Amino acid sequence: MKQIRIALWLAIVGGIATTAAFLMAFFTAEVQLFGTVSLAEQIQTAFPLLGQDASGFMFGRPWFSQKIFYFHVPFAEASFLVFTVAAFFAIRFLMTKDKGYDTKSRVAMEVALVFVVLTLITGDLWTKASWGVWWEWEPRLTTYFIMTLLMIAYFVLRNSLEDEERRAVYASVYGIMAWITAPISFFITRVIPSDHPVVFKSGMATSNLLPFIVAQLGMLAIGYAVYTIRVREERMRERLDVIKDSLEG
Amino acid sequence: MAEQKQGSHISSMRQFKAILKKDIVMELRTKEMLTSMGLYALLVLLIYYIALSQAGSEFDVTNIAGGLLWLAIVFTSLLGLNRSLVHEKDQGCLDALLLAPVDRPVIFFGKAIGNLLFLLIVEVFVTPLFMLIFNAGKYSSGIATWGYLSLILIVGSIGIAGVGTLLATMSVNTTGKDFVLAVLFIPVMFPLLLAVVAATWAILNASPDMAVYWKMLGIAGGYDAIMLLAAYALYEFVLGA
Repeated sequence: MKQIRIALWLAIVGGIATTAAFLMAFFTAEVQLFGTVSLAEQIQTAFPLLGQDASGFMFGRPWFSQKIFYFHVPFAEASFLVFTVAAFFAIRFLMTKDKGYDTKSRVAMEVALVFVVLTLITGDLWTKASWGVWWEWEPRLTTYFIMTLLMIAYFVLRNSLEDEERRAVYASVYGIMAWITAPISFFITRVIPSDHPVVFKSGMATSNLLPFIVAQLGMLAIGYAVYTIRVREERMRERLDVIKDSLEG
Repeated sequence: MAEQKQGSHISSMRQFKAILKKDIVMELRTKEMLTSMGLYALLVLLIYYIALSQAGSEFDVTNIAGGLLWLAIVFTSLLGLNRSLVHEKDQGCLDALLLAPVDRPVIFFGKAIGNLLFLLIVEVFVTPLFMLIFNAGKYSSGIATWGYLSLILIVGSIGIAGVGTLLATMSVNTTGKDFVLAVLFIPVMFPLLLAVVAATWAILNASPDMAVYWKMLGIAGGYDAIMLLAAYALYEFVLGA
């Protein structure tokens, strides 16, 4: 019960932090350049009509689209992190054959998939605003898309297996194979020339960094809370199944 | 495990040969896999003709020849991989193999090399045909080109056969066999396919670029090494379940 209480508190704290980051992003953060590509360069191609005021302050849709950064990047980083947790539990399962690890691995994969979907949605909005297209076959986007397909394939595999033990082993094996592509997606913008901005190469102003970190911590707190509660739920369901079986038999 | 090894006086090499021989003998008797894979590849080439029929004479096929060739190979290999493991399962051969005192890695290599062999045989037949009917070798068709092409075909096929054997062993036990294999196989294959298509393009296009070819061959080789190692390490768990 103590874990659940912590999880609930974390969910509340995470909710407050994310909301605070949202407000900060709009009211305190300054407009910055996007990594290697300057905002002005992108605007010239996507929105030629955009203007600047006397102090050099940009306005219009791209200014607004920059706010997605405070959510898109934390979502993406959280997705890589939780995916790694899922792969870690998959390895632990194969080492110990303890069913609890398989449940943890699967729930972590679910949470990771939620983060991935949120990353794709926010990324898509930004791409449309800044590049003028909904999708581009560009190294980061492509590898991330493949990662999403691998996660979906993980659940397809799970759902098409009936034997429980076999399902757990196969899913763990596939989860590990799928995870090998995650570092590729993470590092590819640093290796191959790509249009996707690399934020932390260029550094950030404190007023930008603060909402970013708050949003990141808030999302991880919510993610952890959802993960803990889901694991708990699955445990209870398993216990219920055992009780049901013993009553029937 | 150690006791088992001492008990059976058969070396791993002989076990491996026996498994490979079993697959080859079965294929020689039924000729099922090679004919179905070959015919399927021919049909894919026919579909390509339909897809390109309105492209016009200015269209330069060498720019996409690498992609077309590897698509045919991927679809054909999906069919073959599924076949090769469905046989094992339906006839109870995999269970018998597991009962025999054979090391699990030997089973993996036996099956994977068998699949690689059949895939290469189909490629030997399909690749020249493809080059011929689509005139993909119009810029470079010397001995050197064929050598480079063979090299990249072998590197790509090793990855396809190795990872495919692991994934097919999992997918034969699922309810939607071939569909599940495609869903599992294609995203995992993605980095390899991108590399081998780029390498094939680099030698077939109007201005061949050997630097790109060797770089992409290196990436494909690296993928093979990482994924084969992972598949080799994980196969034991898959067989045990």
